[in-house]
Amino acid sequence: MNHLFLGLFLLLFVARPAYGADGTAILKRVDANLQPESFESYRKLINIEPNGAKREFLLYTLKKGHDKIVSLFLSPASEKGRATLRLGDNMWLYIPDVGRAIRITSLQSVVGGVFNNADIMRLDYNVEYDVRGLEEKGNEYVLELKAKTGAVAYDRLKMWVDKKIVIPTKIECYAATGLLIKTLYFKEMKPFDDGILRPSVNETDSPLYKGYQSIIVYARIKKRVVPDEVFTLEFLSKVETIR
Amino acid sequence: MGLPARLLVLLALGLFSVAVYAQERYEVDLAEIEKEIGKAADKPYAVGGFFEFQPTLLGIDRDSAFSRVRFFRRDPGSLFDQYNFRLRLEGSYKKDIFAAFFRSDTFVRNDFQGWDEDTKLFEAFVSAKPDPGFTLEAGKKITKWGKGYAWNPVSFIDRAKNPEDPTEALEGSTLMTADLIRSFDGPLKTAALSTLLLPVYEHVNAKFGELNNVNFAAKTYLLLYDTDIDFMVLTGSSRTTRYGFDFARNLTTNFEVHGEWALINNQKTRVIDRQGRMSTREAEAISYLLGLRYLTELETTYIVEYYRNGSGFTRAELKDFFDFAGASYRTFRATGDDSGLRRAQQLAEGAYGRPNAGQHYLYFRVSQKEPFDILYFTPAFTSIVNLTDASLTIIPELAYSPMTNLELRFRTVFLLGKERTDYGEKQNDYRVELRVRYHFGL
Repeated sequence: MNHLFLGLFLLLFVARPAYGADGTAILKRVDANLQPESFESYRKLINIEPNGAKREFLLYTLKKGHDKIVSLFLSPASEKGRATLRLGDNMWLYIPDVGRAIRITSLQSVVGGVFNNADIMRLDYNVEYDVRGLEEKGNEYVLELKAKTGAVAYDRLKMWVDKKIVIPTKIECYAATGLLIKTLYFKEMKPFDDGILRPSVNETDSPLYKGYQSIIVYARIKKRVVPDEVFTLEFLSKVETIR
Repeated sequence: MGLPARLLVLLALGLFSVAVYAQERYEVDLAEIEKEIGKAADKPYAVGGFFEFQPTLLGIDRDSAFSRVRFFRRDPGSLFDQYNFRLRLEGSYKKDIFAAFFRSDTFVRNDFQGWDEDTKLFEAFVSAKPDPGFTLEAGKKITKWGKGYAWNPVSFIDRAKNPEDPTEALEGSTLMTADLIRSFDGPLKTAALSTLLLPVYEHVNAKFGELNNVNFAAKTYLLLYDTDIDFMVLTGSSRTTRYGFDFARNLTTNFEVHGEWALINNQKTRVIDRQGRMSTREAEAISYLLGLRYLTELETTYIVEYYRNGSGFTRAELKDFFDFAGASYRTFRATGDDSGLRRAQQLAEGAYGRPNAGQHYLYFRVSQKEPFDILYFTPAFTSIVNLTDASLTIIPELAYSPMTNLELRFRTVFLLGKERTDYGEKQNDYRVELRVRYHFGL
């Protein structure tokens, strides 16, 4: 009888599915392969409307460690000088005319269209998500991710990862209700500053914005470690000076 | 409907219509984008700004204190149009640890009184940053203190912003600053200290206060337990010493609260009674503000703020001013003696003419991002209520950006209130305006 209880105990509490640890390791490799832990980069955000009209934004971004990221808008002229800062779950937007930073949320959008603030100031996936499922389908892993807290913009992610290079090819983003909010596609692999192949184009579409297309193009991703003081509210108006 | 009004309507209808573009799938030209990014990344300077055209229709309340005081010499009638043009120029340059920035503002107005022009240097300063944690700046600049959206009682140095348009840039003050920032691990993530010297002389910050003094101010910022906290002080002989405190915190991802508290020692307020006798009230003035910002799942943003203006006039004091202005107007009509109205005019250009001269106000704004799937379109509704006399302003507004760098805003401002109330005695009954703003950059 004791053996039966022991067996049940081991089955229920000790024998955990393998995907937890393996999936987390894969997710960490995905993060490392997508971007260095601390880096600077330039990004072009392009919103394309169903009628072909497009809106473009050029951003300079600095990221440090797991939870610090700051972005500065370089163009268009109407947005120039705006800066966003993320420290963990805290997010701020600095508008030059207003002259002071205001707190914003991950679900808002400082650029309009399909992109929201969480897309522009994305932290590593393993910082915000736990792996809840792992499948192997041909040349790809399929990871099921669940947000660690309610502060994360998307409650669940489904991520298709190329086994060979451990880079995602597609990510579906879901709300807590199960609603598909958007799908991200990773394209155009190319070597960056550190020689690692990374996708340089990230395309997004959303059933909530039918016919709209959003694209992020990455350029000049370079490892760069700057002091923590750069990632502070008081420094937001000065980001341009360290570019 | 007069020509100006028809023009406004036509412009509004025309400009809010959506432009039609040829449909085609966008193809990423990586080489072209990288070339553009390279060019932007290597440029050490930036020049830009915007040009603005704002036709405005003003419905004058001819029986109000402020319209009588302003227009007793030349009556514009009950309706007049105004054409406002603005050119804002900004430039920056950086080299090594040094940087320079300027922002100028040229404003041209045409109305029944003719043409008027005003050019101001809003900001012009140089900075040296030997380390990201230490910055020295000198020149004309704004200090940006406070967390409130419509009001900032702790903003001891900057000019007061207009709560009807709180996001507009302001003219700065000439000063020297030294900023120190430190980051930490743990509950206290950031601590920063800003100190500044503010000279007040005949040709430098002359309107700030008593001349021939150098004033000192300091602000300490803490990001503690995910809460922004500031403590500030201004002291010197140009103005009485004042202390302040503010905070802001996200209670949830979509719900932010903020507040400010300010104490001004020995605040002197010049008050007029209904007979026109001036007196000076001197007391400690405590002002504070409590506010929240809430974002719904449908991307509706609510902003609510309560403002207690410790430097404001009581209801009785405001009534006395309105009575004095009314009596002076009647004297002028009967005898041609305009001395009373000229005194009232001076007061109206000072504290009595501030956007919020009273003591208790409520600000409310609701805006909806991109309703009906119209990208870059934001309708909003704003109201400011004087809680003491129940007079108020309501501002419905449509903002739209039909193409990159072009912003359109159509709004109507209604001012409602009984006789001898704050908004009831303002110059206008209503104001209709269309703002067309085009940004450019080199």
